[in-house]
Parts: sequence; C-alpha cells; structure tokens
Amino acid sequence: MRISSFFYTIGQGIKNLGRNKWYTLASIATIGACLFLFGLFYSIITNFEYIVKTAEEGVSVTVFFNEGVSEEQMLAVKSDLEKRTEVKEIVYVSADDAWEEFKGEYLGEYSDGFTENPLADSANLQIYLNDVSMQPALVTYAESIDVVRKVNRSEVTADTLSGLNKLMAYVSAGIIIILLLVSIFLISNTVTMGIAVRKDEINIMKYIGATDFFVRAPFVVEGIIIGIIGSLIPLVIIYYIYRSAITYVATKFTMLSSLLNFLPVDKIYSNLIPISLAIGIGIGFFGSFITVRRHLHV
Amino acid sequence: MEKGFRKKKSGRQIPEDEVITLEHVTKSYSSGAPALKDVSLHVKKGEFVFIVGDSGSGKSTLIKLLLRELVPTSGEITVLGYNLNRIKHSRIPKFRRKLGIVFQDFRLLKDRNVYENVAFAQRIVQTPTREIKRNVPSILATVNLAGKYKNKINQLSGGEQQRVALARALINKPTILLADEPTGNLDPNNSWEIMNLMEKINENGTTVIVVTHNREIVNAMKKRVITMKKGVIIEDEEEGTYIDED
Repeated sequence: MRISSFFYTIGQGIKNLGRNKWYTLASIATIGACLFLFGLFYSIITNFEYIVKTAEEGVSVTVFFNEGVSEEQMLAVKSDLEKRTEVKEIVYVSADDAWEEFKGEYLGEYSDGFTENPLADSANLQIYLNDVSMQPALVTYAESIDVVRKVNRSEVTADTLSGLNKLMAYVSAGIIIILLLVSIFLISNTVTMGIAVRKDEINIMKYIGATDFFVRAPFVVEGIIIGIIGSLIPLVIIYYIYRSAITYVATKFTMLSSLLNFLPVDKIYSNLIPISLAIGIGIGFFGSFITVRRHLHV
Repeated sequence: MEKGFRKKKSGRQIPEDEVITLEHVTKSYSSGAPALKDVSLHVKKGEFVFIVGDSGSGKSTLIKLLLRELVPTSGEITVLGYNLNRIKHSRIPKFRRKLGIVFQDFRLLKDRNVYENVAFAQRIVQTPTREIKRNVPSILATVNLAGKYKNKINQLSGGEQQRVALARALINKPTILLADEPTGNLDPNNSWEIMNLMEKINENGTTVIVVTHNREIVNAMKKRVITMKKGVIIEDEEEGTYIDED
C-alpha cells in the first residue's frame, strides 16, 4: 500500500465519523452503554472479591500439641504442613509467647501472682490458608498427625466465606451472560443500521474496482475509533462515580468503612482500562468488519 | 494457436480485437423463467453498441453479467480476456478497473463533492496524489464541469450528476464503457449532451455499450443496435434502429 493511500484510508475513516453522525453517535452510545454496565459490575465484583479475600486472610486454623512434645517436633510438623498447597503461612506460637499475649490482653498488672506459665501446654501453630474452602482437608490431615492433640477451626466463618465465594462466582457468571446478551442485541441492531447506511457506498466502491481491503479499511479504522471513544466515555464516568461512592460511604457510614475495605480507584483501573479498551476496540473492529463483509460479494 | 486469436479452453477461438464474448449464455434465477436464454454476442474493440428492449427483456441481467456481478447458469463469458465464469474473487477488482460504469441513478457518493467523487476512482487504483490533482481537473474539463469541482452532489442538476459519473468512469482510461440507461433520468438536452460525450469517448478508441430505452437517440446515432426480448437477442444490426415491439 502506498503511503498516500495509507493516510487516505486513515483520513477517510476519520471523515466517515462525521459523514454518518447519527450512526457514529448510536454506535458510541451502544458500546459505551455496554461497557458502562460492564465497568460498574467489574468494580462491584472486584471490590466484593477483595473484601471476602481480606476476611479470608484473617481466618486461621490452630494446631495444639500433646503434652511433652518438644519444640523441635513442633517445628518439624510446621515445615511438613508448610509443604501443603492450601497453606499460605504458619506462625509458631511458643508457650511463652502464648502466655505473654494472654497477659497483655486480659490480665495486665494482675499477672504478677503467677510464678509458672499456666499455659505451658498451649504452644501452637497458627495456620493461614490460601483458600478458605480447603480448610476441611487441612484439618483432617493435621488431626491425623500423632503428636497433635487438638485442631481449632472456625467452621462457620470458613463456610460463610466459601459460600460467598461460590455465590459471587454464580452472580458474576450470570451478570456477564446477561451483559453479553444485551451487548449482542444492541450491537447487532447498530450493525444492521450500519449496513443500511453503507450498502450503496460499498456497492459503488466495488463497481469501480476497489479491492476488499480498500473498501474495508476506512470502515475498520472508523470502527476502531468508535470503539476507543465508546470505551473511554464510560471509563471517565465510572471513575468519578467510583470515587464519589467511596468518599460518600467513608463519610456517611463510618461504621461500615471500618468493616469494608474498598479498593483504591487506581487498583480497579489498572485492569479495567485495558479490558474496556480491548472490548471496545474488538467490538468496533469486528462490528465494522462484519458490516462490510456482507456487501463485499458484489 | 493462430496469430491474432486469444487462447480458449473450449469452443471457438476469440479474435484478439474482440473485447466481449458471450457463448450460449443462459441465466436463470431461482424462480421464474430464465432472464437470458442461450445468448451469444461478440463485440469488437472500439465498437459503439446500443442494447434495447422492453423491461424484463434481460438487458440489466446482461449488464450485471458483464460486470461479473452475476455468474451465468450456463455458457461462457469472456471480457477483455478474463473468463468471467472462472475468475477468482480477488481478481475481480483488477478486471473492473478496465471498465467504466455509468448507471441511470448516477450512484455518486452524496456526502462528497464533485472533485472527491472523481478522485475516488483514482484512489482505488492507488494513483499518487500528485497525479490525481492533475488528472481530475482535466477530466472534469472534458465533461464541462471544470468550474463546479467544489460543489456538493446535491447542488448539481441531473445532467451534471451524470457527467460527474461519466468523469468518474473515464478517469482510469477504461477499455470498455458500460452505461445502463444513462439518460433514463435526464431531459432531452442533457440526454444529448451525455450521448455526444460518449460518442467522443468512443471516437478516442473506447468500446461503448449503452443500454437504453431512448428511441430518438438510438435512431439518430446510427450505431450497432442489439434488440432483446424475453431474454433472447431478436435483432442485431449495424447502423440499426429501435424496433417497435408491436
């Protein structure tokens, strides 16, 4: 392709936006609406995931040992457990650490009367998990170790969190399917409108002897530009909505804000920008590609 | 192979000066009687041919076949050495660039001005911008539209629009000019202006095929006239006239 033809193609793609103003606006609005919904749900789901993950990280399994088990044996169990995939981190709490912690939390100055450590047998391992749904497997394994006396766990919390995780997966899948169906419907309508607008123009080009590439290229350039604009608009809108929502919750519901940790906007946008742009450009590219293809066999 | 003939896989050899060859061409659509029935036709380089006939006589189908918009149901079509039965989709643009096409409804890009409509045909064949800037004013002068190159299409009369379409058809110096009812939407004065331009183009060596209903023009110009009726050629005569159907 000659350089002049290349720039002509780009120029025609840009000019096409102005030539078919209503089509351009309808396309941008369609892509924008789809990506706005997508961005909104993406922000909600990502935050929900983040909140659940933060809660999960606080859930631990505590392993206590039989009387007389040495510290070496306990550390050997610790390194054995650390090899398991579900384990994220293990903290060894010696009997002295446990007593110090207890004193600090509950007794304070009243602990002076104790000459011996009443928690001599309470050395333990605090195990943090990668995925809270794996807790039962780990507990079963830990209970089978002969030096282990007792395994404490928070079953209710673990069940609730893993239930929430499952629910979230279903909700995400459902929303994505609904969004996909709505997008396909809206985009196919826009493409049909585009075909009506473009039919004559494409026919004329073909009669004059334009190659498929030459016919297609300006429309594809146009589609990509529409895709970029259509994805940038909802990104800007969601950015301001998100920031305002976080600020609103933080100021109006101070109780909630200590419980719920929202992701900062830049964390959301580091993924949302490339995903939205890719979807927008993809829709623009394939939408225009399909629109033109239907008329190329003239 | 004899000198002065084109190679052909089957049937008669095509003389080198023959630009359009139809051999026993039939075109049927999915429903109804065939639009063309066993049509054979030979047009030499530099000829001026009128194709006349009532609606439904098969004229438009013939033009579509020559443009390779349609493929014949049976028979063989060769235009400028391209076998249109076997031509690959990717080669059709190159073939069409050797044709100039004019339609009754002009088929101009209404959102572009006169210059851009004509230049468009040169963009398609990737003519350098410098040459386009030289060629477009020259061809617009030939069709007497030099002063209107900036006008939008909807600012032009029907006759002027057809002259823009003619300029677009001619700018790439086609070997054959196909015109489908070029005067169908024009008044007598504009019709004659278009036909005179076509005659001038023909005198410069371009083969011209005109499908028309215009009896007065056909009878006055004394060119070859092919008359069609119900999908068959019923008359083909040099310096012919428009035959009344009744």
